[in-house]
Amino acid sequence: MTTAEFLKTITEAHGVSGYEHNVRDIVVQEFSALCDEVRVDPMGSVWGVKRGTVGGRRIMLAGHMDEIGLIVKKLDKHVIRFTQVGGFDVRVLPGQPVWVHGRQSMPGVIGMRPPHVMPAAERDKVIPMEDLFIDVGLTAEELAQQIRVGDTITLRRGYVELKNGLVASKAMDDRAAVASLLECLQVLQGLKHNWDVYAVATVQEEVGLRGAMTSAYGVAPDAAIAVDVTFARTPELPETGTVEADKGPGIARGPNLHPVMYDRLVETAKRYEMPYQPEPVPGASGTDAWAIQVSRQGVPTALLGLPLRYMHTPVETLSLRDVERCGRLMAYFIADLDDTILDSFRPALPEGE
Amino acid sequence: MKDTLRKLCEAYGPSGNEGQVRDLIRSEIEGLADSVRVDALGNLIAVKGSGGHRVMLAAHMDEIGVIITHIDENGFLRFAPVGGVWTLGLSGRRVAFADGTIGAIGLEKLDDRDRVPAMAKFYIDIGASKKDEVHLKVGDMAVMTRPFVTNGGRWIGKAMDNRAGCAVLIETMRRLKAPKHEVAFVFTTQEEVGLRGATTSAFGLDPEIAVAVDVTGTGDTPKAAPMAVSLGEGAAIKVRDGGMLAHLGVKDLLVQRAEENGIAYQLEVLEGGTTDGRAIQTSRAGVPTGVVSVPTRYIHSPSEMIDERDAEACASLLVVLLENDITL
Repeated sequence: MTTAEFLKTITEAHGVSGYEHNVRDIVVQEFSALCDEVRVDPMGSVWGVKRGTVGGRRIMLAGHMDEIGLIVKKLDKHVIRFTQVGGFDVRVLPGQPVWVHGRQSMPGVIGMRPPHVMPAAERDKVIPMEDLFIDVGLTAEELAQQIRVGDTITLRRGYVELKNGLVASKAMDDRAAVASLLECLQVLQGLKHNWDVYAVATVQEEVGLRGAMTSAYGVAPDAAIAVDVTFARTPELPETGTVEADKGPGIARGPNLHPVMYDRLVETAKRYEMPYQPEPVPGASGTDAWAIQVSRQGVPTALLGLPLRYMHTPVETLSLRDVERCGRLMAYFIADLDDTILDSFRPALPEGE
Repeated sequence: MKDTLRKLCEAYGPSGNEGQVRDLIRSEIEGLADSVRVDALGNLIAVKGSGGHRVMLAAHMDEIGVIITHIDENGFLRFAPVGGVWTLGLSGRRVAFADGTIGAIGLEKLDDRDRVPAMAKFYIDIGASKKDEVHLKVGDMAVMTRPFVTNGGRWIGKAMDNRAGCAVLIETMRRLKAPKHEVAFVFTTQEEVGLRGATTSAFGLDPEIAVAVDVTGTGDTPKAAPMAVSLGEGAAIKVRDGGMLAHLGVKDLLVQRAEENGIAYQLEVLEGGTTDGRAIQTSRAGVPTGVVSVPTRYIHSPSEMIDERDAEACASLLVVLLENDITL
C-alpha cells in the first residue's frame, strides 16, 4: 500500500481513543511487511520493530492512531444522548452524519431542534452537547436491543482529495503521523541504519497521552521522535504560532524537546535539501513527546509537526507531500544516527570535575 | 457487609492519615489472606491465591477532609480542603480530628447570602476561647463526622467514597474460596489527592490485570445530569470516566461473567472524576485495567447513599472473576 492509500484507509477506519482495534489491524498488517517484528503492547499500541545493523540502541517514533469521538451516555426514548471522548468543537456537531458502533455499526445523524421552533434567545447560541442527540431511525425498543451505554460513535466523513495535493478527512489528527511512520519504514528499506527502530502507533493520546506513556516505558528508547499535527496558517490565524501547509514538517523547539535532537533534524533537512519549518513550543507540547520525554530516566525527544488546517473538525486538511517529507526526514535522520549522539545528549562537565 | 461498612465509614482517615482505617481493615481480614504487608506509602496489600495471572484489586482507604492552616488568637481554626470538598453545605457541619476532638464549622457574616461563599470564609470552632486552649496544630486534619444509618437496603454515611469499595474487597476476600489467580487486594492511600497510593503500589506489584473498585455517580435523582446509572440496578461496570477508558477486554469479561452468573450490572459512562484505575492502567508498560463501581448518590457529602444490593453484586462479580480463567 502506498503512503497515500494507507492514509485514506486509516483515516476512514474508525477508532476512538480506547477503541483503536480496527485501525490497529490495518497498521499491524502494513507494518509487518516492513518490519522484522510487530508487537501489540498491553495498552494496545503497535510496535513495528526494524532491526539495525549494529542494534542495541533504540530510537522510538510515535504517532497516535486514536481519534476524538463520541460515546453513548444514555438511551432516551428513540434517540441517543452522548458525550465526548477527546475534544470536538461542539459547534461542528449539529447536522453531522455519524456511525454508531453498536452490536453492528449503523449510520445515524446528529439532530437538534429545528431553528423555526427554537426560541429566539437560543438561536444565536451554541447548542450545548446535552441538547444534541443521535437518531439512527430505530424505535425505542429496537434501539435498546442494538445500542448500549458505552458504545462509540465516529463521524461519517470520507477522505477527499482537494487541489494541489491537499487532502481532507476526519482523523488526520493523528493518523497522518502514522502514515509518516509507514513512509519512514518504506524509505528505510533502502537505507543502512545502525540503531533499532521502534515505530509505535500509540493509543489514547487524545485522553492524556496514555499510550505514549506506557509504550515509551516498554520500549525504553535512547531517543525518540513524536509526530503530531500542528496548526497550519489560514487567513484568520496569526502568523506567530502557526506554520504553512505544504512547506514541510515543523521541527519543534522548546523545553519539551532535546536541543541536540532539534539540531540534528535541522542538519538532516539541510543536508538532503528537504523543506522544514522551525516551530517554537514554549511549554507543554500537548503531544506524545510530552509523555515520552519523562519516561523512566528521561528520553531525548524531538517533535515533528504536520501542518494541519481545521484541527478537531471533520474536515482536517493537510498536504500529502508534508506527510511524505516528514517520513523521509525521519528515515535519513535515523540512517545517520550512531552512538556519538549519546555523548552530545549529555553536556560534558568542566575539566577537573 | 453492613457491620463492616458501618465501622469503616465511621473511622477517621483523610488522605495521608489512613492509619486508623488500615488497622481496622487488618483486623477485618485477619486470616483471610496468605500474606499481608504495608508499603512505603501506607498501602495495605493482602495477597491470596497463586498461579494464573497476577491480579491487582484496588480500593482506596482515604476520604476527603480538611487541614488546619491557621489558628487565630481567639482559638478559631482556618482550614483548606484535602481532596474535593464542596463549600456548599459546609456551614454547620461537624468535623472530627484524629484524637476524636469534634469541631463545628462556622461562617463569617456574609454580604451576599445568595452566593456560595469561598472556603476562606469558613472556620472551625472547637469551643476554645483563646489560642492557648487549642491543643491542635497547624497541619492536623479533620474529616466530616456523621453516623452510618440504614433505611432498609439503602445505606447512608460519610466516606462511602470509598469505604464502600473497601467493604466490597473485604467481602470478596471472605467469599473467595478458590482463587485461580495470585490476587493482591490493595487498600490504597491518597486517592483523593491524586491517585498516589495506587500509582506506587501498582509499580511495586507489576500486575498483569487490574480492577479498581470505587463509587460512581448516578442519574436517578431530581434534575440530575443525564447518566444511565441508578441505585439498586446492580454493580456498575465502567466504560469510561473523566480520567480513563476502561480496557475493552477487562470490561467485556466483567460483563460476560455478570451475565453468565445472573449478577445485576449496569454499564457506566461517568463524565467527571476518576479512580485508582487511571493510575494503575499506565503503570510501567501498561496494565489492562477495568473498574467495578458502587453507584452512589451525593458523593463527597457527609450523606453518601448506596444500595446494599449493588455492593453485594460488586462482590459477587469480583468473586466469579477471580474463580475463573481470565483471557483478554
